[in-house]
Amino acid sequence: MKPSNGCAVVGVGYTSQGRVPGRTMLSFHVEAAAQAIADAGLTGKDIDGLICYRHFPAATGEPDVTPYLVAEHLGISPTYLSQEANCARSHLLHAIAALEAGECNYVVISYGHNALSSDSILKLLYQKGSEEMVFGHFGATADYALAARRAMHLFGTGPETWKHIAVGQRKWANLNPRAMHHGRPMTFDDYFNSRLVVEPFRLFDNCLITDGGRACVVTTVERARDLPHRPVRIMGFGHHHPSSGVQRARHLAGPTGAKRAGERALRMAGVALSDIDACEIYDCFTYTVEITLQDLGFFGPGEGADWFAGGRIEPGGAMPVNTSGGLLSESYQMGLTPVTEAVMQLMGRCGDRQMGPATRTKEPEVILCTDNGGTLQSCACYVFGRE
Amino acid sequence: MDNVKPLPLINGDNEQFWKGCARHELRFQKCRRCGFVRWPPSFLCPECHYTDAEMIRASGRGRVYSFVVYHMAYHQGFTDDLPYVVALVELAEGPRFLSNIVGCEPDDVACDMPVEVVWDDIGEWSLPKFRLLP
Repeated sequence: MKPSNGCAVVGVGYTSQGRVPGRTMLSFHVEAAAQAIADAGLTGKDIDGLICYRHFPAATGEPDVTPYLVAEHLGISPTYLSQEANCARSHLLHAIAALEAGECNYVVISYGHNALSSDSILKLLYQKGSEEMVFGHFGATADYALAARRAMHLFGTGPETWKHIAVGQRKWANLNPRAMHHGRPMTFDDYFNSRLVVEPFRLFDNCLITDGGRACVVTTVERARDLPHRPVRIMGFGHHHPSSGVQRARHLAGPTGAKRAGERALRMAGVALSDIDACEIYDCFTYTVEITLQDLGFFGPGEGADWFAGGRIEPGGAMPVNTSGGLLSESYQMGLTPVTEAVMQLMGRCGDRQMGPATRTKEPEVILCTDNGGTLQSCACYVFGRE
Repeated sequence: MDNVKPLPLINGDNEQFWKGCARHELRFQKCRRCGFVRWPPSFLCPECHYTDAEMIRASGRGRVYSFVVYHMAYHQGFTDDLPYVVALVELAEGPRFLSNIVGCEPDDVACDMPVEVVWDDIGEWSLPKFRLLP
Protein backbone atom coordinates (compact mmCIF):
# COMPACT_ATOMS: atom_id res chain seq x y z
CA MET A 1 0.00 0.00 0.00
CA LYS A 2 1.73 3.18 -1.12
CA PRO A 3 0.80 6.61 0.17
CA SER A 4 -1.28 8.62 -2.25
CA ASN A 5 -0.55 12.29 -1.97
CA GLY A 6 -1.13 12.98 -5.58
CA CYS A 7 -4.84 13.59 -6.16
CA ALA A 8 -7.37 16.21 -5.16
CA VAL A 9 -11.03 17.04 -5.62
CA VAL A 10 -11.37 20.41 -7.30
CA GLY A 11 -15.02 20.90 -8.20
CA VAL A 12 -18.51 19.92 -7.05
CA GLY A 13 -21.72 19.85 -9.08
CA TYR A 14 -25.22 20.15 -7.62
CA THR A 15 -28.62 20.04 -9.33
CA SER A 16 -32.08 20.92 -8.16
CA GLN A 17 -33.12 18.09 -5.87
CA GLY A 18 -36.04 16.72 -3.90
CA ARG A 19 -39.19 16.12 -5.91
CA VAL A 20 -38.34 17.32 -9.40
CA PRO A 21 -40.89 15.79 -11.78
CA GLY A 22 -40.46 15.71 -15.53
CA ARG A 23 -36.74 15.05 -15.46
CA THR A 24 -34.94 11.95 -16.76
CA MET A 25 -32.27 10.04 -14.86
CA LEU A 26 -29.82 10.95 -17.62
CA SER A 27 -30.56 14.67 -17.31
CA PHE A 28 -29.49 14.69 -13.65
CA HIS A 29 -26.18 12.92 -14.43
CA VAL A 30 -25.44 15.39 -17.19
CA GLU A 31 -26.45 18.50 -15.27
CA ALA A 32 -24.43 17.49 -12.19
CA ALA A 33 -21.36 16.68 -14.29
CA ALA A 34 -21.55 19.95 -16.21
CA GLN A 35 -21.94 21.92 -12.96
CA ALA A 36 -18.90 20.16 -11.45
CA ILE A 37 -16.80 20.85 -14.57
CA ALA A 38 -17.72 24.55 -14.50
CA ASP A 39 -17.17 24.71 -10.72
CA ALA A 40 -13.63 23.40 -11.24
CA GLY A 41 -12.96 26.15 -13.76
CA LEU A 42 -12.76 23.66 -16.63
CA THR A 43 -14.67 22.94 -19.84
CA GLY A 44 -15.83 19.68 -21.37
CA LYS A 45 -12.75 19.68 -23.57
CA ASP A 46 -10.55 19.26 -20.48
CA ILE A 47 -12.34 16.13 -19.25
CA ASP A 48 -10.65 12.86 -20.20
CA GLY A 49 -12.17 10.55 -17.58
CA LEU A 50 -15.80 9.83 -16.69
CA ILE A 51 -16.95 7.42 -13.98
CA CYS A 52 -20.68 7.02 -13.40
CA TYR A 53 -22.30 5.74 -10.22
CA ARG A 54 -24.23 2.50 -10.38
CA HIS A 55 -26.55 1.35 -13.08
CA PHE A 56 -30.26 1.44 -12.13
CA PRO A 57 -33.20 -0.07 -13.95
CA ALA A 58 -34.37 2.40 -16.58
CA ALA A 59 -37.57 4.21 -15.69
CA THR A 60 -40.46 3.43 -18.03
CA GLY A 61 -40.06 5.35 -21.27
CA GLU A 62 -36.44 6.33 -20.58
CA PRO A 63 -33.18 5.06 -22.04
CA ASP A 64 -30.84 2.91 -20.02
CA VAL A 65 -28.31 5.32 -18.48
CA THR A 66 -24.94 4.11 -19.70
CA PRO A 67 -21.63 5.99 -19.47
CA TYR A 68 -21.75 6.21 -23.28
CA LEU A 69 -24.93 8.24 -23.06
CA VAL A 70 -23.61 10.51 -20.31
CA ALA A 71 -20.40 11.12 -22.31
CA GLU A 72 -22.36 11.73 -25.50
CA HIS A 73 -24.63 14.25 -23.82
CA LEU A 74 -21.62 16.00 -22.28
CA GLY A 75 -19.97 16.06 -25.70
CA ILE A 76 -16.81 14.36 -24.46
CA SER A 77 -14.75 11.39 -25.67
CA PRO A 78 -12.67 10.40 -22.65
CA THR A 79 -9.66 8.10 -22.46
CA TYR A 80 -11.19 6.40 -19.37
CA LEU A 81 -14.88 5.59 -19.11
CA SER A 82 -16.66 3.31 -16.64
CA GLN A 83 -19.76 2.70 -14.57
CA GLU A 84 -20.43 0.32 -11.72
CA ALA A 85 -23.09 -2.25 -12.42
CA ASN A 86 -24.00 -2.39 -8.74
CA CYS A 87 -22.83 -0.94 -5.45
CA ALA A 88 -19.10 -1.64 -5.04
CA ARG A 89 -18.23 2.07 -4.56
CA SER A 90 -14.77 2.14 -6.07
CA HIS A 91 -15.20 5.36 -8.07
CA LEU A 92 -12.54 7.46 -6.39
CA LEU A 93 -10.09 4.57 -6.50
CA HIS A 94 -10.67 4.28 -10.25
CA ALA A 95 -10.17 8.02 -10.65
CA ILE A 96 -6.95 8.03 -8.62
CA ALA A 97 -5.61 5.04 -10.55
CA ALA A 98 -6.39 6.65 -13.91
CA LEU A 99 -4.75 9.92 -12.83
CA GLU A 100 -1.67 8.36 -11.27
CA ALA A 101 -1.19 6.06 -14.26
CA GLY A 102 -1.06 9.16 -16.45
CA GLU A 103 -4.10 7.98 -18.37
CA CYS A 104 -6.20 11.00 -17.41
CA ASN A 105 -5.79 14.61 -16.31
CA TYR A 106 -9.31 15.47 -15.14
CA VAL A 107 -11.86 12.84 -14.12
CA VAL A 108 -15.56 13.46 -13.48
CA ILE A 109 -17.56 11.19 -11.15
CA SER A 110 -21.30 11.55 -11.62
CA TYR A 111 -24.57 10.30 -10.15
CA GLY A 112 -28.14 10.99 -11.13
CA HIS A 113 -31.53 9.44 -10.49
CA ASN A 114 -35.18 10.40 -10.73
CA ALA A 115 -35.79 8.01 -7.84
CA LEU A 116 -38.71 9.90 -6.30
CA SER A 117 -40.71 10.65 -9.45
CA SER A 118 -40.13 7.56 -11.60
CA ASP A 119 -40.75 3.82 -11.27
CA SER A 120 -37.04 2.93 -11.33
CA ILE A 121 -36.78 2.18 -7.59
CA LEU A 122 -39.84 -0.07 -7.71
CA LYS A 123 -38.22 -2.01 -10.53
CA LEU A 124 -35.11 -2.29 -8.41
CA LEU A 125 -37.08 -3.70 -5.45
CA TYR A 126 -38.59 -6.38 -7.61
CA GLN A 127 -35.18 -7.51 -8.88
CA LYS A 128 -34.67 -9.47 -5.68
CA GLY A 129 -34.43 -13.21 -6.20
CA SER A 130 -37.53 -15.30 -5.71
CA GLU A 131 -35.89 -16.97 -2.69
CA GLU A 132 -36.58 -13.70 -0.86
CA MET A 133 -39.63 -12.28 -2.65
CA VAL A 134 -41.84 -15.30 -2.00
CA PHE A 135 -41.53 -14.56 1.72
CA GLY A 136 -42.47 -10.91 1.25
CA HIS A 137 -38.91 -9.65 1.62
CA PHE A 138 -38.04 -6.62 -0.50
CA GLY A 139 -35.44 -3.96 -0.52
CA ALA A 140 -32.67 -2.38 1.43
CA THR A 141 -34.70 -1.22 4.43
CA ALA A 142 -35.54 -4.76 5.49
CA ASP A 143 -32.02 -6.06 4.85
CA TYR A 144 -30.49 -3.35 7.01
CA ALA A 145 -33.24 -3.86 9.60
CA LEU A 146 -32.16 -7.52 9.85
CA ALA A 147 -28.61 -6.33 10.50
CA ALA A 148 -29.78 -3.77 13.05
CA ARG A 149 -31.92 -6.32 14.91
CA ARG A 150 -28.99 -8.67 15.28
CA ALA A 151 -26.94 -5.75 16.62
CA MET A 152 -29.71 -4.94 19.12
CA HIS A 153 -29.51 -8.52 20.34
CA LEU A 154 -25.70 -8.67 20.48
CA PHE A 155 -24.75 -5.31 21.95
CA GLY A 156 -27.92 -3.61 23.02
CA THR A 157 -28.25 -0.85 20.45
CA GLY A 158 -31.63 0.40 19.24
CA PRO A 159 -33.82 3.47 18.81
CA GLU A 160 -32.39 5.14 21.93
CA THR A 161 -29.07 5.29 20.09
CA TRP A 162 -30.44 5.98 16.62
CA LYS A 163 -32.56 8.93 17.73
CA HIS A 164 -29.36 10.93 18.33
CA ILE A 165 -28.27 10.30 14.74
CA ALA A 166 -31.61 11.21 13.16
CA VAL A 167 -32.08 14.34 15.26
CA GLY A 168 -28.42 15.41 15.09
CA GLN A 169 -28.27 15.23 11.33
CA ARG A 170 -31.59 17.06 11.03
CA LYS A 171 -30.03 19.98 12.91
CA TRP A 172 -27.33 20.20 10.24
CA ALA A 173 -29.99 19.98 7.49
CA ASN A 174 -31.73 22.95 9.01
CA LEU A 175 -28.58 25.00 8.32
CA ASN A 176 -28.54 23.82 4.68
CA PRO A 177 -31.07 25.50 2.34
CA ARG A 178 -30.46 22.79 -0.26
CA ALA A 179 -31.56 20.01 2.13
CA MET A 180 -34.90 18.30 1.47
CA HIS A 181 -35.66 18.56 5.20
CA HIS A 182 -34.53 22.18 5.57
CA GLY A 183 -37.05 24.04 7.70
CA ARG A 184 -38.34 20.86 9.32
CA PRO A 185 -36.87 20.57 12.82
CA MET A 186 -37.08 17.14 14.48
CA THR A 187 -37.33 16.34 18.18
CA PHE A 188 -36.78 12.99 19.87
CA ASP A 189 -40.57 12.75 20.17
CA ASP A 190 -40.93 13.34 16.42
CA TYR A 191 -38.45 10.53 15.85
CA PHE A 192 -40.35 8.10 18.07
CA ASN A 193 -43.70 9.19 16.62
CA SER A 194 -42.64 8.49 13.03
CA ARG A 195 -44.35 5.38 11.73
CA LEU A 196 -42.78 1.96 11.88
CA VAL A 197 -41.73 0.86 8.40
CA VAL A 198 -39.84 -2.38 8.83
CA GLU A 199 -39.29 -2.83 12.54
CA PRO A 200 -36.92 -2.05 14.19
CA PHE A 201 -36.76 0.88 11.72
CA ARG A 202 -39.06 3.85 11.80
CA LEU A 203 -39.49 6.22 8.88
CA PHE A 204 -36.84 8.56 10.31
CA ASP A 205 -34.27 5.77 10.44
CA ASN A 206 -34.47 5.67 6.63
CA CYS A 207 -32.64 7.81 4.13
CA LEU A 208 -34.49 10.03 1.69
CA ILE A 209 -35.53 9.11 -1.83
CA THR A 210 -34.47 11.90 -4.15
CA ASP A 211 -34.72 13.23 -7.66
CA GLY A 212 -31.40 14.85 -8.45
CA GLY A 213 -27.76 14.41 -9.22
CA ARG A 214 -24.31 15.13 -7.86
CA ALA A 215 -20.81 15.09 -9.31
CA CYS A 216 -17.22 16.00 -8.56
CA VAL A 217 -13.99 16.51 -10.49
CA VAL A 218 -10.72 14.84 -9.48
CA THR A 219 -7.27 15.75 -10.75
CA THR A 220 -3.65 15.72 -9.63
CA VAL A 221 -2.61 18.05 -6.81
CA GLU A 222 -0.18 19.69 -9.23
CA ARG A 223 -2.92 20.57 -11.73
CA ALA A 224 -5.28 21.47 -8.90
CA ARG A 225 -3.09 24.42 -7.90
CA ASP A 226 -4.01 26.23 -11.12
CA LEU A 227 -7.77 25.95 -10.53
CA PRO A 228 -10.09 28.41 -8.74
CA HIS A 229 -10.89 26.51 -5.52
CA ARG A 230 -8.62 25.54 -2.69
CA PRO A 231 -7.90 21.86 -3.59
CA VAL A 232 -9.04 19.09 -1.26
CA ARG A 233 -6.37 16.43 -1.11
CA ILE A 234 -7.21 12.73 -0.96
CA MET A 235 -4.77 11.85 1.85
CA GLY A 236 -5.72 8.20 2.16
CA PHE A 237 -8.20 5.62 1.08
CA GLY A 238 -9.16 2.05 1.88
CA HIS A 239 -11.76 -0.40 0.68
CA HIS A 240 -13.20 -3.67 1.88
CA HIS A 241 -16.01 -5.75 0.45
CA PRO A 242 -17.42 -8.44 2.78
CA SER A 243 -19.66 -9.10 -0.26
CA SER A 244 -22.04 -11.72 1.15
CA GLY A 245 -25.74 -10.89 1.27
CA VAL A 246 -27.83 -11.12 4.43
CA GLN A 247 -28.34 -14.87 4.34
CA ARG A 248 -24.67 -15.80 4.23
CA ALA A 249 -23.23 -12.66 5.85
CA ARG A 250 -21.22 -12.89 9.06
CA HIS A 251 -20.77 -9.13 9.38
CA LEU A 252 -24.30 -7.79 9.92
CA ALA A 253 -23.56 -6.62 13.46
CA GLY A 254 -19.89 -5.87 12.70
CA PRO A 255 -17.12 -5.80 12.03
CA THR A 256 -18.30 -4.51 8.68
CA GLY A 257 -16.06 -3.48 5.80
CA ALA A 258 -15.58 -0.16 7.60
CA LYS A 259 -13.05 -1.72 9.96
CA ARG A 260 -10.48 -2.74 7.39
CA ALA A 261 -11.28 0.11 4.99
CA GLY A 262 -10.87 2.62 7.81
CA GLU A 263 -7.59 1.15 9.06
CA ARG A 264 -6.13 1.28 5.55
CA ALA A 265 -7.31 4.83 4.89
CA LEU A 266 -5.96 6.19 8.18
CA ARG A 267 -2.62 4.41 7.77
CA MET A 268 -2.19 5.73 4.24
CA ALA A 269 -3.09 9.24 5.37
CA GLY A 270 -0.70 9.01 8.32
CA VAL A 271 -3.33 10.23 10.76
CA ALA A 272 -5.18 8.84 13.80
CA LEU A 273 -8.85 9.10 14.71
CA SER A 274 -7.88 11.90 17.10
CA ASP A 275 -6.78 13.96 14.06
CA ILE A 276 -10.22 13.76 12.42
CA ASP A 277 -12.22 16.99 12.64
CA ALA A 278 -15.51 15.68 11.22
CA CYS A 279 -17.00 12.59 9.60
CA GLU A 280 -19.17 12.35 6.53
CA ILE A 281 -20.59 8.83 6.84
CA TYR A 282 -22.74 7.04 4.28
CA ASP A 283 -26.05 6.95 6.15
CA CYS A 284 -28.60 4.92 4.24
CA PHE A 285 -30.01 4.15 7.72
CA THR A 286 -29.30 5.47 11.20
CA TYR A 287 -27.83 2.09 12.16
CA THR A 288 -25.33 2.37 9.29
CA VAL A 289 -23.86 5.48 10.91
CA GLU A 290 -23.57 3.73 14.27
CA ILE A 291 -21.97 0.52 13.02
CA THR A 292 -19.61 2.41 10.70
CA LEU A 293 -18.33 4.75 13.44
CA GLN A 294 -18.12 1.79 15.83
CA ASP A 295 -16.09 -0.28 13.38
CA LEU A 296 -13.87 2.71 12.63
CA GLY A 297 -13.02 2.66 16.35
CA PHE A 298 -14.71 5.79 17.69
CA PHE A 299 -16.43 3.69 20.39
CA GLY A 300 -16.84 0.08 21.43
CA PRO A 301 -19.82 -2.19 20.70
CA GLY A 302 -22.91 -0.81 22.39
CA GLU A 303 -21.20 2.36 23.61
CA GLY A 304 -22.82 4.40 20.85
CA ALA A 305 -25.74 5.56 22.97
CA ASP A 306 -23.34 7.33 25.34
CA TRP A 307 -21.04 8.53 22.56
CA PHE A 308 -23.84 10.18 20.57
CA ALA A 309 -25.58 11.67 23.62
CA GLY A 310 -25.19 15.34 24.45
CA GLY A 311 -25.03 16.53 20.84
CA ARG A 312 -21.54 15.28 19.96
CA ILE A 313 -22.33 15.04 16.24
CA GLU A 314 -24.48 18.20 16.03
CA PRO A 315 -23.63 21.84 15.34
CA GLY A 316 -21.52 22.87 18.33
CA GLY A 317 -20.47 19.28 18.96
CA ALA A 318 -17.00 17.81 19.31
CA MET A 319 -17.31 15.46 16.30
CA PRO A 320 -19.65 16.79 13.62
CA VAL A 321 -21.15 14.00 11.52
CA ASN A 322 -22.97 14.43 8.19
CA THR A 323 -22.90 18.20 8.17
CA SER A 324 -25.14 18.63 5.12
CA GLY A 325 -27.88 16.59 6.82
CA GLY A 326 -26.66 13.50 4.99
CA LEU A 327 -28.70 10.94 3.15
CA LEU A 328 -31.17 10.99 6.07
CA SER A 329 -31.99 14.70 5.91
CA GLU A 330 -30.23 16.38 2.97
CA SER A 331 -30.71 14.18 -0.10
CA TYR A 332 -29.85 10.77 -1.45
CA GLN A 333 -26.98 11.18 -3.90
CA MET A 334 -25.32 7.88 -2.97
CA GLY A 335 -21.70 8.25 -1.81
CA LEU A 336 -21.49 11.65 -3.41
CA THR A 337 -23.61 13.13 -0.59
CA PRO A 338 -20.83 12.48 1.97
CA VAL A 339 -17.93 12.99 -0.46
CA THR A 340 -19.08 16.35 -1.81
CA GLU A 341 -19.91 17.60 1.69
CA ALA A 342 -16.42 16.75 2.94
CA VAL A 343 -14.98 18.61 -0.05
CA MET A 344 -17.21 21.67 0.39
CA GLN A 345 -16.42 21.87 4.14
CA LEU A 346 -12.67 21.70 3.49
CA MET A 347 -12.99 24.31 0.72
CA GLY A 348 -14.83 26.52 3.23
CA ARG A 349 -17.90 26.94 1.00
CA CYS A 350 -20.70 25.70 3.28
CA GLY A 351 -22.36 28.96 4.31
CA ASP A 352 -24.48 28.69 7.47
CA ARG A 353 -23.41 25.11 8.08
CA GLN A 354 -19.70 25.79 7.61
CA MET A 355 -17.59 24.27 10.35
CA GLY A 356 -15.72 26.86 12.34
CA PRO A 357 -16.97 29.82 14.39
CA ALA A 358 -20.37 29.94 12.63
CA THR A 359 -21.32 26.48 13.94
CA ARG A 360 -19.19 26.56 17.11
CA THR A 361 -17.06 23.71 15.79
CA LYS A 362 -13.43 23.19 14.91
CA GLU A 363 -12.13 24.68 11.67
CA PRO A 364 -11.83 21.51 9.57
CA GLU A 365 -8.41 20.37 8.37
CA VAL A 366 -9.02 16.63 8.05
CA ILE A 367 -12.36 14.93 7.34
CA LEU A 368 -13.04 11.20 7.24
CA CYS A 369 -15.61 10.00 4.75
CA THR A 370 -17.23 6.66 3.94
CA ASP A 371 -19.25 5.22 1.11
CA ASN A 372 -21.10 1.94 1.54
CA GLY A 373 -22.78 -0.44 -0.86
CA GLY A 374 -25.16 -3.38 -0.78
CA THR A 375 -26.24 -4.47 2.69
CA LEU A 376 -22.94 -3.48 4.33
CA GLN A 377 -21.33 -5.51 1.53
CA SER A 378 -18.91 -2.77 0.48
CA CYS A 379 -17.18 0.02 2.32
CA ALA A 380 -14.90 2.68 0.91
CA CYS A 381 -13.17 5.04 3.35
CA TYR A 382 -11.40 8.28 2.45
CA VAL A 383 -9.41 10.79 4.43
CA PHE A 384 -9.58 14.26 2.88
CA GLY A 385 -7.37 17.17 3.89
CA ARG A 386 -6.90 20.83 3.13
CA GLU A 387 -4.07 21.25 0.63
CA MET B 1 -48.87 -4.31 -9.54
CA ASP B 2 -51.43 -7.04 -8.93
CA ASN B 3 -52.14 -8.58 -5.57
CA VAL B 4 -50.92 -12.08 -6.40
CA LYS B 5 -47.88 -13.08 -4.36
CA PRO B 6 -44.74 -13.93 -6.31
CA LEU B 7 -43.97 -17.63 -6.75
CA PRO B 8 -40.58 -19.35 -6.88
CA LEU B 9 -38.71 -18.72 -10.12
CA ILE B 10 -36.78 -21.80 -11.09
CA ASN B 11 -33.21 -21.62 -12.35
CA GLY B 12 -30.30 -24.03 -12.71
CA ASP B 13 -29.03 -23.31 -9.21
CA ASN B 14 -32.27 -23.50 -7.18
CA GLU B 15 -34.30 -26.17 -9.01
CA GLN B 16 -33.43 -29.04 -6.68
CA PHE B 17 -34.24 -26.97 -3.61
CA TRP B 18 -37.74 -25.98 -4.73
CA LYS B 19 -38.53 -29.49 -6.02
CA GLY B 20 -37.60 -30.79 -2.56
CA CYS B 21 -39.90 -28.24 -0.95
CA ALA B 22 -42.79 -29.46 -3.12
CA ARG B 23 -42.33 -32.83 -1.33
CA HIS B 24 -42.06 -31.03 2.06
CA GLU B 25 -38.35 -31.76 2.22
CA LEU B 26 -35.91 -28.97 3.13
CA ARG B 27 -32.87 -29.91 1.07
CA PHE B 28 -29.52 -28.14 0.90
CA GLN B 29 -26.29 -28.71 -0.98
CA LYS B 30 -23.50 -30.27 1.08
CA CYS B 31 -19.98 -30.19 -0.35
CA ARG B 32 -18.69 -33.70 -0.95
CA ARG B 33 -15.14 -32.58 -0.18
CA CYS B 34 -15.24 -30.22 2.84
CA GLY B 35 -18.76 -30.92 4.10
CA PHE B 36 -19.90 -27.28 4.06
CA VAL B 37 -23.69 -27.01 3.85
CA ARG B 38 -24.60 -24.02 1.74
CA TRP B 39 -27.45 -21.61 1.06
CA PRO B 40 -28.23 -19.74 -1.16
CA PRO B 41 -27.73 -22.48 -3.75
CA SER B 42 -24.58 -22.21 -5.82
CA PHE B 43 -22.58 -23.97 -8.51
CA LEU B 44 -19.58 -24.58 -6.28
CA CYS B 45 -18.63 -24.61 -2.62
CA PRO B 46 -17.71 -21.10 -1.44
CA GLU B 47 -15.38 -22.65 1.14
CA CYS B 48 -13.29 -24.92 -1.12
CA HIS B 49 -14.56 -24.40 -4.72
CA TYR B 50 -15.40 -28.10 -5.12
CA THR B 51 -18.36 -28.49 -7.47
CA ASP B 52 -19.66 -31.90 -6.44
CA ALA B 53 -22.38 -31.68 -3.78
CA GLU B 54 -24.98 -33.99 -2.34
CA MET B 55 -28.46 -32.80 -1.41
CA ILE B 56 -28.95 -33.43 2.31
CA ARG B 57 -32.34 -33.28 3.96
CA ALA B 58 -32.26 -30.78 6.80
CA SER B 59 -34.02 -31.46 10.10
CA GLY B 60 -36.05 -28.26 9.71
CA ARG B 61 -35.01 -27.14 13.16
CA GLY B 62 -33.03 -24.04 13.94
CA ARG B 63 -33.06 -20.73 15.75
CA VAL B 64 -33.96 -17.15 14.94
CA TYR B 65 -30.72 -15.39 13.99
CA SER B 66 -32.44 -12.11 13.27
CA PHE B 67 -35.92 -10.91 12.33
CA VAL B 68 -37.86 -7.86 11.22
CA VAL B 69 -41.53 -6.92 11.26
CA TYR B 70 -42.98 -5.47 8.07
CA HIS B 71 -45.46 -2.67 8.80
CA MET B 72 -45.75 -1.65 5.15
CA ALA B 73 -46.20 -3.78 2.05
CA TYR B 74 -43.75 -3.29 -0.80
CA HIS B 75 -45.95 -5.58 -2.91
CA GLN B 76 -49.75 -5.65 -2.84
CA GLY B 77 -49.74 -9.42 -2.45
CA PHE B 78 -48.60 -8.99 1.15
CA THR B 79 -50.93 -6.19 2.27
CA ASP B 80 -53.34 -8.54 4.05
CA ASP B 81 -50.49 -10.17 5.97
CA LEU B 82 -49.38 -6.98 7.74
CA PRO B 83 -47.75 -6.92 10.19
CA TYR B 84 -45.66 -9.96 9.26
CA VAL B 85 -42.29 -11.34 10.33
CA VAL B 86 -39.34 -12.04 8.03
CA ALA B 87 -36.51 -13.84 9.78
CA LEU B 88 -33.09 -15.26 9.16
CA VAL B 89 -33.34 -18.78 10.54
CA GLU B 90 -30.03 -20.45 11.36
CA LEU B 91 -30.66 -24.12 10.70
CA ALA B 92 -29.11 -26.88 12.80
CA GLU B 93 -27.13 -27.95 9.72
CA GLY B 94 -25.50 -24.52 9.45
CA PRO B 95 -27.01 -22.40 6.69
CA ARG B 96 -29.12 -19.34 7.38
CA PHE B 97 -32.39 -19.28 5.52
CA LEU B 98 -34.62 -16.25 5.00
CA SER B 99 -38.27 -17.05 5.64
CA ASN B 100 -41.30 -16.11 7.72
CA ILE B 101 -42.12 -16.85 11.35
CA VAL B 102 -45.82 -17.75 11.42
CA GLY B 103 -48.43 -18.82 13.95
CA CYS B 104 -47.59 -16.19 16.57
CA GLU B 105 -47.75 -12.47 17.18
CA PRO B 106 -44.74 -10.49 15.91
CA ASP B 107 -44.06 -9.36 19.48
CA ASP B 108 -43.56 -12.99 20.53
CA VAL B 109 -40.44 -13.38 18.38
CA ALA B 110 -36.91 -12.82 19.72
CA CYS B 111 -33.43 -13.59 18.49
CA ASP B 112 -32.08 -17.07 19.28
CA MET B 113 -35.55 -18.59 19.85
CA PRO B 114 -35.83 -22.20 18.63
CA VAL B 115 -38.04 -22.80 15.58
CA GLU B 116 -39.12 -25.61 13.28
CA VAL B 117 -40.29 -25.73 9.70
CA VAL B 118 -43.98 -25.73 8.69
CA TRP B 119 -45.11 -25.98 5.08
CA ASP B 120 -47.25 -23.41 3.28
CA ASP B 121 -48.70 -25.09 0.19
CA ILE B 122 -49.43 -22.79 -2.74
CA GLY B 123 -50.59 -24.70 -5.82
CA GLU B 124 -47.77 -26.95 -7.00
CA TRP B 125 -45.28 -25.23 -4.70
CA SER B 126 -44.71 -25.30 -0.97
CA LEU B 127 -42.90 -22.61 0.96
CA PRO B 128 -40.87 -23.56 4.04
CA LYS B 129 -41.90 -21.25 6.87
CA PHE B 130 -41.14 -21.55 10.58
CA ARG B 131 -42.98 -21.58 13.88
CA LEU B 132 -41.67 -20.93 17.36
CA LEU B 133 -40.97 -23.99 19.48
CA PRO B 134 -41.97 -23.86 23.14
